[in-house]
This record gives sequence, C-alpha cells and structure tokens, in this order.
Amino acid sequence: MKDHESELKLQAFLDGELPDAEAREVASWLAKDREATGLLGELKNTRQALVGFDRGIRLPESREFYWSKIQRQIESVSAQPAPEVQVSWFAQLRRLLVPATALALVCLAGFVALKQGGASAGAETSLATPGAFTYRDFNSGTTLVWLPYPAEDQLATAY
Amino acid sequence: MIESHYSSAGDEALVRASQQGEMVAFEELVARHRDKIYARAYTIMRSEEEAIDLSQEAWVKGWQKLAQFHGESSFGTWMTRIVINLCLDQLRKQKRHRTESVEAIAEDSGGIERQMPVVIVNPTAGLERVELRQRIDQALGQLSYEHRTVLVLHEFDDLEYKEIARVMGCSIGTVMSRLFYARRRLAALLVDLKKDSK
Repeated sequence: MKDHESELKLQAFLDGELPDAEAREVASWLAKDREATGLLGELKNTRQALVGFDRGIRLPESREFYWSKIQRQIESVSAQPAPEVQVSWFAQLRRLLVPATALALVCLAGFVALKQGGASAGAETSLATPGAFTYRDFNSGTTLVWLPYPAEDQLATAY
Repeated sequence: MIESHYSSAGDEALVRASQQGEMVAFEELVARHRDKIYARAYTIMRSEEEAIDLSQEAWVKGWQKLAQFHGESSFGTWMTRIVINLCLDQLRKQKRHRTESVEAIAEDSGGIERQMPVVIVNPTAGLERVELRQRIDQALGQLSYEHRTVLVLHEFDDLEYKEIARVMGCSIGTVMSRLFYARRRLAALLVDLKKDSK
C-alpha cells in the first residue's frame, strides 16, 4: 500500500467518486498490488454488511400514539399568536409629536390672529383627513393646512 | 371515508392536500414514512428516546415548511434531510465531540486505522440476519458520532462526499478520512464481536 492519500483514492474508487481517468489508474494499480486488493475487499465487505440495516429499524410506538404528539405540537404551534410588530421608540415618539406640534402651531396662529384683529382668522379641523388642521387668515388671504404625515397605519407597517 | 381515500393516494397528492392544510393527509404521510425518519434519527443518535423526540420534531417542522417543498426530491428524502439536520444540531448542542477528541485526532492524522490489519475474512459471513443486525448495531454504537454520521449518510442515504461535507459543515477531505476510518474501525469491531461470540 502506498500512502493515506492512495487509500482514500481506493475508497473513492469503490464509491464511484473518481473521474474515469483516475478510476482506470486505480484499477491498474489494484491489478498489481495485493495489499490494495485486500483493503478494497475489506471495504466492500463492510459496505455490504450495512446494506438494508436501517430498513430493519422500526419505530417502537404505535401509529396513533406517535401521531398524537405530533398533532398536539402542530396545533399548539398553529394556535400561537403571530408575533407583534415591534414599533420603535422613535416611531412612537413621532406619532405623539406630530399632532402635538400641529395643535401648538394652530394655537399659535390663532393667538397671533386674535392679537391682530379679532375674528378675521380661524382654525378648523378637516373631517376628510383625520388629524388635519386648517388655519385661515382672511385679512391676509393666507391658508395653512397641516397634514399628519406619514399616515399612522403606514408608520406602523414600516416599523 | 376520507382516511381510506388518502391511504390509496400517492405521496404527491398527499403533500398537495397537506399543503392545503389537510392534517389527515399529513397523518398518512407520517404513517408511511415514520419508520424511515425514526431509523435515521436512531442510527445517528443511538437513543430510542431522543430518536422518537427528534423524529416527531422533524414532522412538526415538516408541516410548518410544507409550502417550501416543491418536489425537487421525494417527500421521504426531504423529510430525512430535516431529521438529519435536527440530529446534527442536537449533537452539536450536546458537544459530544469533546469526549471523542482523541479518536477525532487519530482519524484526522490518518493514524490508527492505518495500523489496523486488513480484515481478509468477511466477519459477517454466514451470520443469521438477526445476529448480523445485532452485531452491526453494537459496532455502530462504538463509533464516534462524526464517524457514524458520515457512514450513515453515505451508506443509508446514498449521499455523495460533497453533500455530506455540506450537511456536516466540513471539507470533502475530512469526509473521506472519516468514512475511511469508520469503515476500517467497523470491520475491526465486527471481527472482535465475532471472536467474543465464540
């Protein structure tokens, strides 16, 4: 026998893992080397002894008993609620700050308008877009619309 | 009536029905392949209890991943891969290899098995089927899990060297060395068992 590499090559030959050219080399080497032939015989016998061994192994439980545990686990996994979407603290803070800032701006604008000349200015809430505020100054012809952006549901999805 | 319908259906039809959420169809698949899946877990783990638990876990995982099965291999083969991965994960967790490091070093250096005399006479020749099974079972139990697993994947699952290397997370050279060592050691163990029985 040559070396460990040659032994592994012999094994690869047995397992059909060698390219054709190398397989031919090994075949001609085997014809001349009795030790290699002996080793190949041993490897073959071991392989042959294992044939069908695992097919004789049987589950030592009845079908019903075995399945019942699998079924319970499947049902318990299916019954678990989906993990909640994690909303970051930044998103939560922004969700609070947006309407608060809008409210503060409207109050400020109203206060300024009142100081400048009474009922010529006003703030209103849009019904079409929840959370939207509109400020109008009739004297100067100015209209300010504050829209909450992004929409809260989009925010929740994004985070 | 549904059950009898499923018992005559092919695996492909059962898989499709299971993918639609039909648990009765999945139960039929479990019944058909349970021995094979258990056998694979047992040959790797060498413990009935662990093999039962891991094979059941594999079935639960299989159910959860059914949508990912597109028939590239047979259903049985697909399930076998799942149970093999679970077994290997379990063995890594247990870190059994720590206690087998001496054997691993010997195998990696191509040492011990090179000194073993070649077994010329087939040590299993003439044995009755039951006795042969017992001896192989005993011998497999004396191999380290790395050697046994390589042997099992190659001999029972017909995996090529490169596939075994991928599953076990090692090089092809390591697979070849381990397989060679495992075979030679198994042959020597079978000879010892034959002597003991006389």
